Amino acid sequence: MSVAAATTVIGKRRATRVASNPDRRRRVRTAFLFLTPSLIGVVLFLVIPVIFVMVLSLTRWNLLTPIKWVGFSNYANIFRFDGFGHSLLVTAYYVVLNIPFQTVLALGLALLLNNKRTGSAFIRIICVLPFLATPVAMGVVWNWFFSPTGIINQILAHVGITGPAWLSDQATAMPVIAFASIWQYAGYNMLFFLAGLQAIPLSLYEAASIDGGTKIQQFRRVTLPLLRPALLFVLVTTVIGSFQVFDTVYVMTAGGPGNATKVANLNIYNTAFAGFRIGEASAMSVVLFLIILVITVAQFRYFNKRTTYEIG
Amino acid sequence: MASIASVKPASASVSRASTTTSPSSLGKGIRLAVFYLLLLVILLVFITPYLFSAFAAFKTLPDILAQSPARPPMHPTLENFKTIFTQYDFGRYLLNTLLVTIILTTGQVLFSMLGAFAFARMDFPGREGLFWMYLATLMVPNVVTLVPLYVMFAHSGLLNTYWAIFLPYVLGVPASVFLMRQYFMTIPKEVMEAARLDGCSESRILWRIVVPISRPIIITATLLAVVFGWNNFLWPLIVTNSNSLQVLSVATANFNSNFGVQWNLILAASLVALIPMVILFAIFQKHIVRSISLTGINR
Repeated sequence: MSVAAATTVIGKRRATRVASNPDRRRRVRTAFLFLTPSLIGVVLFLVIPVIFVMVLSLTRWNLLTPIKWVGFSNYANIFRFDGFGHSLLVTAYYVVLNIPFQTVLALGLALLLNNKRTGSAFIRIICVLPFLATPVAMGVVWNWFFSPTGIINQILAHVGITGPAWLSDQATAMPVIAFASIWQYAGYNMLFFLAGLQAIPLSLYEAASIDGGTKIQQFRRVTLPLLRPALLFVLVTTVIGSFQVFDTVYVMTAGGPGNATKVANLNIYNTAFAGFRIGEASAMSVVLFLIILVITVAQFRYFNKRTTYEIG
Repeated sequence: MASIASVKPASASVSRASTTTSPSSLGKGIRLAVFYLLLLVILLVFITPYLFSAFAAFKTLPDILAQSPARPPMHPTLENFKTIFTQYDFGRYLLNTLLVTIILTTGQVLFSMLGAFAFARMDFPGREGLFWMYLATLMVPNVVTLVPLYVMFAHSGLLNTYWAIFLPYVLGVPASVFLMRQYFMTIPKEVMEAARLDGCSESRILWRIVVPISRPIIITATLLAVVFGWNNFLWPLIVTNSNSLQVLSVATANFNSNFGVQWNLILAASLVALIPMVILFAIFQKHIVRSISLTGINR
């Protein structure tokens, strides 16, 4: 190719660019105009606070007196004096009670309702209703259900069992709170499994049954592996949500009895907004953030590894 | 699920033994009966809390304590609602919640949509980098920003204002931006290019082409914002302390701690918070079920 041809091409391109320049500039301006509100929101209410919380975690401050730099001492003190280690254990206990039951129940509901039988569609809809329930208001209702003379104990009395004082008993308080969450979100998570189930080609099941696979084998070899993306999504979002549980706990037990349900978020709330110890509360937030981050990354890793293994 | 799996082999053997003409009809019948029994259990589990609290809200306190919660009110009374709306300010809390939810939803959906459109179908320098920033913030749990946001609001003198309640969510949130951006990406580029060649402005393209096509995802984003705005508790709890600014969730929690065992009043209050969402659900249930599925795996 000759140099002349190349220069004409470049010349042409430059010409078109010059022609569209004001047009393009206007379009870029419009793009930024469209982007500005959400960009302000993201920077001001997410990016800056995330940086700010790390800075605050290195200080001692009650919002009134001057800020004092204390280095990393808050990170030791929250475990030594504020029982944050206990809070993390309690939170972990809640997560362990909540996640397996909720996930299995959601999957079970999806498998049960993934058909065209009369009534299935209606029940599918009913399952999602609790997702909209205000957790605070529902907490009040559960308080009533699980009160010492409430309906749960009335039913138990009918079969001759004296029920515990559910929410003021160290052994039962957290399971009741976990139950409230499972009730609220199982149907919501069911929807993701339903979407996953409906994406599985029927031909796979036909192939499996021609090969003589039983229903249980089909479930283990076809359904479960192909539901992996749905499972990952449900696990990641419920784990992130569960580590931050607050509303239900605040209304149902306020952290009691003793400190049996004093979850991490409640400890942060008390430290920051009852004790006004901003530094310590920030350190707690950072620790909780890191834990959630590590677990989320681990979940993605685990699922990715398993998936590639299956394909390979 | 487990029960259906375990019922199956048993029913199959029963049917084989029983009849020869229709070998599987009895087994099918049993399976169907178990299926509908399970549906009934599910229905009861999910409906009962609503139903019983609705019953109780129309009963007097002695009736609530004496009667079974399963019994509908014999002489329904509006006394509880009268009390919470006249002696306590629940009308005000209801209006506050409604106002905050409407502002939050409108802003969040509109601004997220604009951002999503820019990311999906417009060219500008720094697009990739900014999009990654949005994605990264998607991972930030609410609890992390709680304390620093409170400090920022305290210093700008915004505590105890309506602004404080909705401001962090009204300018658009990354989850909503991401959700709509993914949907907008599925609209063929050629459609917009053609409109541009015809001299259509970007905002005309957005309103006349993108919005009508993307109705399902916009409804999804709207519903999620409404549910979030209505149910939000921790943030309004910490940024408001004057009585007149309380939203329903905060008012209900306060009411609960002040009137612990006056079930008639606190259940009536809870019902006021719960019912609007039930109505929303009743109207939009098909949309809600369909649109939640849109938010998930398609990411």
